[in-house]
Amino acid sequence: MTEKIGIYLCECGPNIASKIDLDRLAVDLSKLDDYKGKELIIKKHKLLCSVAGKQFLEEEINDNKLTHMVCAACSPRDHDSTFINVCKKTQLNPYLYTIVNIREQVAWVIPEMEEATDKALKYVHAGMNRVLYQTPLEEKQLDSNPDVLIIGGGMAGMEAAISTASKDRMVYLVEKSDKLGGHASSLFGLLPVQGENLSALQRKIAEVKKNRFIKIFTNAEVERIVGFMGNFEVLLNAKGNDGILELITGAVVVATGYDLFDPNKLENINYTAEDNVFNALELEEMINEKKKVELRSGKEVSSVTLVHCVGRNEVGYCSKICCNYNFKISNYLQKQGIKKITHLVRDICAPAKTSQKFQNKVIENGAKVIYVDSVNINGEKLTYKNRKGEQVNLNSDMIVLASSTIPNKSTQEISKLINLDLDEAGFFQEAHMKINPVQTNIDGVFAVGSAHGPGSIVDAIVQAKAAGGKILTQLIPGQKIVPEVKVSEVLEAYCTGCQTCLQVCKYDSIYFDEDKGISVVNEAICRGCGNCIGSCPSGSIRSKHFTNPQLYQEVKEALR
Amino acid sequence: MNTSDKVLIIGSGVAGMDAALMLSKAGKKVILVEKLALTGGKTIKNEETYPNLDCSTCLVAPIQQEILQDSNIELLTLSTVEKVDGYEGNFNVTINKVARYINAEACLGCHMCYDPCPVVIKNEWEENLIDRKAVYVPCTGALPNVPRVQAEHCLKLNGQDESCSKCVDACMFAAFDFSQKDEKVDVEVSGIIVATGYELLDVAEIEELGYGKFKGVYTSLEFERLFASNGPTEGALTLRGSDVSPETIAIIHCVGRDKTGYCSSVCCMSSSKHAHFIKHKLPDVKIYNIYSDLCLADKTYQKFNDKVSKESSEFIFQTDRNKMKITETGDKLSVSYVNKEEKEDSLTVDMVVLASALVPPKNIEELTNILDIERDEFGFIAVEPHKIGSVETSRAGIFVAGCAEGPKDIQSSVLQAEAAVAGILSFPVE
Repeated sequence: MTEKIGIYLCECGPNIASKIDLDRLAVDLSKLDDYKGKELIIKKHKLLCSVAGKQFLEEEINDNKLTHMVCAACSPRDHDSTFINVCKKTQLNPYLYTIVNIREQVAWVIPEMEEATDKALKYVHAGMNRVLYQTPLEEKQLDSNPDVLIIGGGMAGMEAAISTASKDRMVYLVEKSDKLGGHASSLFGLLPVQGENLSALQRKIAEVKKNRFIKIFTNAEVERIVGFMGNFEVLLNAKGNDGILELITGAVVVATGYDLFDPNKLENINYTAEDNVFNALELEEMINEKKKVELRSGKEVSSVTLVHCVGRNEVGYCSKICCNYNFKISNYLQKQGIKKITHLVRDICAPAKTSQKFQNKVIENGAKVIYVDSVNINGEKLTYKNRKGEQVNLNSDMIVLASSTIPNKSTQEISKLINLDLDEAGFFQEAHMKINPVQTNIDGVFAVGSAHGPGSIVDAIVQAKAAGGKILTQLIPGQKIVPEVKVSEVLEAYCTGCQTCLQVCKYDSIYFDEDKGISVVNEAICRGCGNCIGSCPSGSIRSKHFTNPQLYQEVKEALR
Repeated sequence: MNTSDKVLIIGSGVAGMDAALMLSKAGKKVILVEKLALTGGKTIKNEETYPNLDCSTCLVAPIQQEILQDSNIELLTLSTVEKVDGYEGNFNVTINKVARYINAEACLGCHMCYDPCPVVIKNEWEENLIDRKAVYVPCTGALPNVPRVQAEHCLKLNGQDESCSKCVDACMFAAFDFSQKDEKVDVEVSGIIVATGYELLDVAEIEELGYGKFKGVYTSLEFERLFASNGPTEGALTLRGSDVSPETIAIIHCVGRDKTGYCSSVCCMSSSKHAHFIKHKLPDVKIYNIYSDLCLADKTYQKFNDKVSKESSEFIFQTDRNKMKITETGDKLSVSYVNKEEKEDSLTVDMVVLASALVPPKNIEELTNILDIERDEFGFIAVEPHKIGSVETSRAGIFVAGCAEGPKDIQSSVLQAEAAVAGILSFPVE
């Protein structure tokens, strides 16, 4: 079959037409030496992306039975997808079309028309060279499983379960300990205006338990996860109860929670289990169990010092929740009749709109706030340096430490299990910090709650619902998923089996075929980032839409 | 049960746009209503966004483009919701759509029509730092890239000069259509997401700070636009009405905090970012950040702030933020405050940036009345008080996301939007 290339020059109103001599460009293109004998159809149009322009292209492709198409127009960012969609309506495979950017890269940056037209000629020529080396690619459709695996049965995990379970979506909720609830079950109360007591937690546990589309596994751990969005194979060790189980799910939500920083790791803080120094969670547990605060000896407490930001410098971040819960504890102590309460703070962090009012109430009721630069604790002896630089001794019956929130121990294990990226602090890394905050680096895997970073119960629940929103919109029961087409492929004959590509793949999409001794790309997972191509010492990996010949043909003309 | 597969989203900032695209992917039809002529909300007023300094156009423009190209999403700009009847699953909504007088299909956004327009008014989108015409786009790069003719200012439309056709004559694409009329659009939707964002507290109310009186005093959003490469000075940091750059700048945190009764949670980081911007652009400028409590409530924020306080700005702790006072002597501003020794202290600077508190938009009362949903004690849209982390409002089927619910950063706004999508989709459709 002889090639028939359609080349369409967009005037983009005055944007291109006033800066590039499109008539001369058309003539020059028609006279290219290396295209003698090839059939070229060269036309200009006022505005290719307009309704009329798209109609024009569609007719051109059909009427001329084009084998390739080049649109010389704007940035691919603006209208590549527009022209791909035009191709999809016709017989022309969209991967046999290319866009050449003669607006941003030529018309808008080259003031002289002569020079701009010459440059446009090179660029369009380069695009023609490239398109001839492109190959048709077909989109695949894969079956997908809508079910969800949730790792962690705390507030976040339970909320994610409730948000996603329905008659056509089973949820498997896996909890390592023997009961649901996570850290929240050791708190004596949730923060103000979130409900003063824990009935909210109990209600949530009851709701999860009665939902017949949620299957709960306690005392259970995930041992293996392989696959991709829509098809994860999960090996579950539900010790005792169900034994080893195999599940297939379409999505995974990681909600493995947090641990507290150990204050004894700090040089300036030393105390033993006998001292009346508690971390805030211990105090929460005491209040929860005994319904009062007392010293280790069982004696009454008359003065308490609450130290904020313990470990903050070491972990390198503010844990966001400690100021609030310290004031919550303070509020409780005040209700117990304890009058002498001192907060040693670095900055008061009150990011929720209701926090400041609550904190102010506690301060009005007599709690003292002292801004400090450092705190030293030795046994029960406490000294601090205030903002004026003075060292001050502070005696109190009890010291409460608000330790930093750090990643849970199992975070590391889970990250290795599914190849999830961790951030500098060791929490799960978001796909995009701002605009895709619950998605991890792996499609179909989400991180919520404190596993994702320090935050309140409100934050954890909103994140869990957000993961629910993601799953409900990405994995629709009965709908197929279409993976990326422009993926990498390994040329078997050249692969030496060194496995460098396995190390650099961010998506865990390459596996090693032991029998053949070569790397294989799982096309359902590959996102076409090109990391493996750059890393391959034998040049045996290529991207299906960015092959060396394609790039060479394009670049050699553009740089001529 | 007779439910619509349509969803109404009010507000096209990051929260509204994210929710719209997600719902579209799930096969829903989305009516995206935007009061202004452009999408992108407050995010696009920023040159770069903290903490990783993503350029906000790079962050948001692809999303804005996708909104325009998504056939499941009908974007109604210059539109407001006027009436909402019905109940969850079956809301009847009336939308008032103001005429643009330009046919979006024909317009290319070439901008040839602005110059000839004889009307000159302040550009409120640019925080009134620059003028615009009666036919305009709010800023370079606005999407949709289609100007509007503002009827109340256009001489032809307001009757001052019916013969004026300068813009029409300049248009090469015959895109003007003065026969367009404001119209009422009736839609049936199953659910509603309110993502109408925030405004800054009017800091002129705090007289001691001299905003509006002293030309060297700026709000944080004015500063954002001043710094923006598509803004009034194309990014040149020059003092109001001159081409002189400041040599000393004070950035004041927590402005209006005790008036609103809450911490606005984004201002410390944006103030820190501003210090970084200034140092980057004008390395010799002396910068002071005057704060009372630093709010760095995310796992990545402290690192950013530490770097700024080390490299760019002197952070000064003030012990009583309500004793801050700014006075003007000649071209200089004097900032007096209570220092860490609890003594009066002062700084002399050329420019002051006030990190103003975030407050509900002025029209929130009207909107919540139309939607028949409750507001909280601060005036933001209230969520179900007994459900922790809820994004449901007091009326079933209506959800809230982003700063309409309270001050928050981009990430938290997006999270609520995604949570609201889960809420919308959990409602069964027959």
